[in-house]
Amino acid sequence: MKEYELVSGLETHVELSTKTKIFCSCTTQFGSEPNTHCCPICIGLPGTMPKLNRQAVRYAIKAGLATHCTINPIAKMDRKNYVYPDLPKAYQISQYDKPLCSNGYIELKNGRKIRILRIHIEEDAGKLVHERGDTFVDYNRGGVPLIEIVTEPDIRSIDEAIEYVEKLQLIMKYIGVSDVKMQEGSLRCDVNISVREKGSESFGTRTEIKNMNSFAFMQKAMEYEFERQVDLIENGEQVIQETRRFNTDTGETAPMRGKEDAHDYRYFREPDLVTIETSKEEIEEIRASLPELPEQKRQRYIETFGLSEVDADILIKYRKVAEFFDEAAKAVGNPKTVSNFIISQVFRTLPTDAEKEAFDVRITPQSLIELIGLLESKKINMNVAKSTLDKMLQTGKTPDQLIDKNDMGGVDANTLTAICQKVIETQSGAVQDYKNGKEAAFKALIGGVMKETRGKADPMQATEILKSLIG
Amino acid sequence: MMVTKEEILDIALLAKLSVEEDKLDELTKEMMNIIQFADTINAFDGEVQEFDNINSLSNVFREDEVLPSYPREEILKNVGGGENGYFPVKKRM
Repeated sequence: MKEYELVSGLETHVELSTKTKIFCSCTTQFGSEPNTHCCPICIGLPGTMPKLNRQAVRYAIKAGLATHCTINPIAKMDRKNYVYPDLPKAYQISQYDKPLCSNGYIELKNGRKIRILRIHIEEDAGKLVHERGDTFVDYNRGGVPLIEIVTEPDIRSIDEAIEYVEKLQLIMKYIGVSDVKMQEGSLRCDVNISVREKGSESFGTRTEIKNMNSFAFMQKAMEYEFERQVDLIENGEQVIQETRRFNTDTGETAPMRGKEDAHDYRYFREPDLVTIETSKEEIEEIRASLPELPEQKRQRYIETFGLSEVDADILIKYRKVAEFFDEAAKAVGNPKTVSNFIISQVFRTLPTDAEKEAFDVRITPQSLIELIGLLESKKINMNVAKSTLDKMLQTGKTPDQLIDKNDMGGVDANTLTAICQKVIETQSGAVQDYKNGKEAAFKALIGGVMKETRGKADPMQATEILKSLIG
Repeated sequence: MMVTKEEILDIALLAKLSVEEDKLDELTKEMMNIIQFADTINAFDGEVQEFDNINSLSNVFREDEVLPSYPREEILKNVGGGENGYFPVKKRM
């Protein structure tokens, strides 16, 4: 069998977290009683006039700047016509040939850039509910502002597709324009897929899988569709350009629309909305409001703080964790200690992704700084630091409240030297064995020091002192 | 520009209209006349200014402030009060 390569481009819909809908003042709140967030504008009654939400435009520009797009000085809204019950006007107000943002990219770990063709704003459709063969519509979601982010067909594997969406999701979260929750539908992906023989430059016929709302489904749908297309080609059949739906029960994709419903959206300018002009000053003002983006943070953690790529990736994945880390890292000697504590110990108390995301912990950056300060000034050793951190996580107390001042745990150099001297004197047998080359005997001496200090000495320091005393 | 009978049928389908076979020739001719008028405009030779902004108005925005929505009874009035708070949809093909 010949070797085949996947070619994919994504259209990602991201619901913007504005307070109100894109063309009316109804709330965008999620999860309310059906049709309670509606007005004549968002249910498309004749004679109503849409009025564009300024914040939706600003959020879209922000998303464009964060993904290296050019912000177009002149943009306009268009009508996209199609007949479906989730769309009360029988057209969606979207953008066709003059979107807000064009020509950006997201860079993957392997260095490949997935080009973003455009980002445009549009209104979301209502939600259809199917029950016992009947269909009902809830227009609460109708008119919620969306951005659609369209890539070029630059994706070459399922892993790349998923990494792209994860990166996009993280960027949107960092810049605060959306909560990008796939399970709530605030981030949805349409996946375009074609296959071609490896090494070929031309593109095969593509199909589009609609509305992927989880990474697991996206992975399965893409695997299935890739295999299906390869099988067709291998059997001398043709791939038909069509829209397909992924059936989560069977794990298969199936055609969604018949040929007679072929796309013809008859786009034309929305006459009820005027041109959107964006000045250079406005663009720069929005650019200045961007926070440090995940990729920049990652770079800084690796280059300035000397973190490993793996650790940097873990920390930037959760915005609140990264903020906590930054706060603590700037006030300690070695930021790596902060990341080690967070990743190995704090995360143990936050097993799920959602818990890490929320990062609802009983320690503060200040209490962690305090703890690491004690560790770095050798007032306590690593064992004590670790057990104190556990207690801090459980009780919300500070190191100051948890570590007995008179019994700091930490042992200063003079005291430690005296204790080492004492151990050498009482364990002369072990000292002799060590001198005769029995490395294991040294452990007994360290054990003696730890016993004397009730586990609070720094083993590294004790080793140094013992060795210099024994000579 | 020529218009074919197939294109007329396709447009009719998109517009959800049914076209009688014996009307097809006439409709095709009429549509051709309309399209040919556009050809006349296209034949104009000279500087054309793009009119993105026909009424020279731009940036009419609304601030992102929530106002009360309509009572659901009002929203569902045109569908006989709806069903359980929803708009019922007639079965489609």
